[in-house]
Amino acid sequence: MRGHERDVTNTGQPPWKSPVALSILLHGLILGVALTGWTWTDPSEDPPPPSISARLITPNEPEPSPVTEPVDEPDRDEERRQEEERQRKEEAERRKAEEEREREEARRIQQEKERKLEQKRQEEAAEREREQQRKAEEAARQKAAAEAKERERQKAEEEKRRQEEAARKAAEEKRRAEEQRRKEEAERKAREERERQEAERKRKERERRLKEQQLEALAEEAQQEREAEERRKREAAAAKARESQMLSESQKYQALIRERLSQAWYPPSSATEEMTARLQITLLPTGELASVKLVSSSGNTAFDNSALGAVKSLNRYPIPDDRDTFEKYFRQFTIEFNPRRLR
Amino acid sequence: MGNQMTNRSTTGITRIGLAAAWFLMLVVMTAGNPANAELLIRITEGADSAIPVAVVPFSESGQIPSGDKVSNIVRDDLTMSGEFKPLPPEKMLSLPSKGDEVYFRDWRLLGQRYVLVGQLTRTGDKIEARYELFDVNREERILGATASSSVNSTRSLAHHISDKVYEAITGVPGAFSTKLAYVTLQRSGGEPMYRLQVSDVDGKRARVRLESDEPILSPAWSPDGKRLAYVSFETGKPAIYIHELSSGNRTRVADFRGLNSAPAWSPDGRSLLLTLSKDGNAEVYKMDIQSRSLKRLTNHWSIDTEPTWDHTGKGFFFTSDRSGGPQIYHKSSEDAEPRRITFGSRYNARPRPDDDGKYVYYVHQRDQAFHIARTNLQTEEETILTRTGSDESPSVSPNGRMLIYATKQSGDSVLTVIAADGGAAYSLPASEGDVREPAWSPIVK
Amino acid sequence: MNVSAHHKLFAMVMSLGLIAGCSSTGETTEDGAYGSDVSAVDQEGGSTVYGGDDDGGVSSSEMSEEQRREAEARAARAEEAAMREITTFYFDFDTSEIKADARDVLVAHARFLQANPGQNVRIEGHADERGTKEYNLALGERRANAIERFLIVNGASRGQTETISYGEEKPAVMGSSESAWAQNRRVELVFQ
Repeated sequence: MRGHERDVTNTGQPPWKSPVALSILLHGLILGVALTGWTWTDPSEDPPPPSISARLITPNEPEPSPVTEPVDEPDRDEERRQEEERQRKEEAERRKAEEEREREEARRIQQEKERKLEQKRQEEAAEREREQQRKAEEAARQKAAAEAKERERQKAEEEKRRQEEAARKAAEEKRRAEEQRRKEEAERKAREERERQEAERKRKERERRLKEQQLEALAEEAQQEREAEERRKREAAAAKARESQMLSESQKYQALIRERLSQAWYPPSSATEEMTARLQITLLPTGELASVKLVSSSGNTAFDNSALGAVKSLNRYPIPDDRDTFEKYFRQFTIEFNPRRLR
Repeated sequence: MGNQMTNRSTTGITRIGLAAAWFLMLVVMTAGNPANAELLIRITEGADSAIPVAVVPFSESGQIPSGDKVSNIVRDDLTMSGEFKPLPPEKMLSLPSKGDEVYFRDWRLLGQRYVLVGQLTRTGDKIEARYELFDVNREERILGATASSSVNSTRSLAHHISDKVYEAITGVPGAFSTKLAYVTLQRSGGEPMYRLQVSDVDGKRARVRLESDEPILSPAWSPDGKRLAYVSFETGKPAIYIHELSSGNRTRVADFRGLNSAPAWSPDGRSLLLTLSKDGNAEVYKMDIQSRSLKRLTNHWSIDTEPTWDHTGKGFFFTSDRSGGPQIYHKSSEDAEPRRITFGSRYNARPRPDDDGKYVYYVHQRDQAFHIARTNLQTEEETILTRTGSDESPSVSPNGRMLIYATKQSGDSVLTVIAADGGAAYSLPASEGDVREPAWSPIVK
Repeated sequence: MNVSAHHKLFAMVMSLGLIAGCSSTGETTEDGAYGSDVSAVDQEGGSTVYGGDDDGGVSSSEMSEEQRREAEARAARAEEAAMREITTFYFDFDTSEIKADARDVLVAHARFLQANPGQNVRIEGHADERGTKEYNLALGERRANAIERFLIVNGASRGQTETISYGEEKPAVMGSSESAWAQNRRVELVFQ
């Protein structure tokens, strides 16, 4: 199709200067435009929404002469490429025509006479033809005008429809927008709610963490305090060995008391390794027993009595001379009787 | 999602941190406490010696038969238990016989833990004892009672008082009023003379129940303490007899071909376990005393003997050399599979369980010497109890606190009593010749 | 060879002074030492009993073949009779295994019993004092049973034998030494 079209334009070119050829060219072009116009509006190539076909037609409407213009419209790139191709070919044609023209010149001069003879007849015929042409053009123009009018009407209708459609669409759009807005609003509210909750959670989290940090800090503080206390103790001990001396004194006398009580205790034969009796004893600063109390019975009277007997059998408990150590450790203490290894 | 995870894990961490914080606070609190806490002294071992006790000679009013004094017998009883160390009377600062005469300070000065005082009064043919036991350190009377006996059995009275004193101090009934059965062997001019005798636990008041120039073996008390079962070769062959002590009546209950040995009474007194070889080799049987019917309880080509009921009265222990040498086995019922109890050496025999099923006592060979050992049936721990080297025939006192066994002393067999846990030994007064196979009677109420 | 082994065994037994109250002939039924135990008096008597087991004459070449066989048979009988002087057999601690050097003697006893169906024997099992009395009773019986089985296997009949165990009750030797124990772990044959 296009090749054919090209052929048509090509053939239309050589007789540039001839009005007939021009006229033929023009007609060919119009036909070509009409043909190509149809082709380009081919739905398979380009979906034909009414607006697009309307747009295609509109530029053609006021001035049908610049027929090349619409050619540009559908596909400028393709056109340009075709144009270039055409120009290249035209160039070649032109050179060929140049040579032709020289030959033609000679032939023309030779034919001048008979042409002039023919001219009058031809001019008349041309005049007629021009007349016909004019008439045809006139008719075409009128037809085009009618068509344009019709198109105008259709376009108006189309426009109206489009406006209505636009209005409908606008309404629809507005409704949708409204809906969208509401949806967005809801979403926004939900989001805000989530954000609020998240914030609340984070706030609580923060609070808890804060609380925990406070507790930790408290614990740490306590720990530090304890450490400080220990440090103080250590320092104190290091400074004046007194505490440690008291402690070692205490341990020494604990061992002495343990030994004395072990020697003085006669677990009865009914004793078992499961039996445990606890006695709380109070001493006088002289080491004498002030009082003894059974705080936890073994469940076996003979066993309890053996423990009480042992505690009471010591005339004087071995206690440190140092009064502070005595007061701290030996004024009152607990003794547990629990045989680990029965004979 | 990932965020949530992170959140959760951080919560976890903070939770742990929280717990740690609390824990630290707790530590701080408890760590802070000891400063205020009382000292605690733990006593896990007692004196390794016997309890010092003063048995003050009892005052006497009326015609009290001369001879052994009640207080002396009590002193000896307490000594024999291995748990007491009575103060010799000559070391006493005073000799009170009533509670209000007891000055605790004096006794404490003497290092005594308990003081027993008492009075004997004769009324007709009876002698009454009023006695009181004091805890010196606690300054408390822990026993006060009266008891009486006929004029001729002040020993029984004394053993009774020993039982009460023992129980008041230890929490365990005394076993001083029980009896011993044993066999003596005298060789005069090469002729052996076996005598089955019954005596007090201190070996006194011994009475011969059977005399034979053929061996007498394995005396065993009936649960009611009224009869003895034993093996006698008096007919030239071993046979098992049941001997009623009060009447002297005897019944030969087993006289089968081969062995008739090792009788042991069932807890209900109705049947005997015994060892017979009538079916080929030594096996354990149960005999119903009334009907004489037999039930065979072991069946093995090895020696199975020395049966004795366990404390449940359902199962029994016995000796078997099925492993190659004699070892102690236990059957939890008459038909159960035997379970080996002893593993400590190549030779463990003649089991004697105590009454509460805690220990089984037996003869144990180690390094060519024979000792008495016991195994704790719960822990399976084995303890060797005797230091002598030719020890035989252990018999546990009915209160489980004492153990009597036969051992060698300058060639003769003598009886020795030890505390059941291996404490101090007390040799019974030696008689002429061998004294062997002691059997401790049950406590007879 | 055998003879010298028997000599040795016999000499050992003699030296231990264990042949208690045996009569010197060995031909007649020994009225057992049962019950008499091992009194010192008997031991002295026993110690003098040395059998005439000199076999020097047997090798004489001047004897006829018949004479020689007769002499040999006589010598063998004398030897067996001498062997039967041994009536005590010893055991290791806690075993009832018959020792190898006792087998020939026991075979001699078994043949004798086989040859004299009217002869009964009481087989007495003993143990040393170590261990428990009741277990030792069973052990003595097991030893006696082992000897009894051996005799029966070698010709004696069941009706001729009787076993009894005294356990540790009738020691051959008093005392608590290794040698006393070794001599007390025994089975004695008492022909009745």
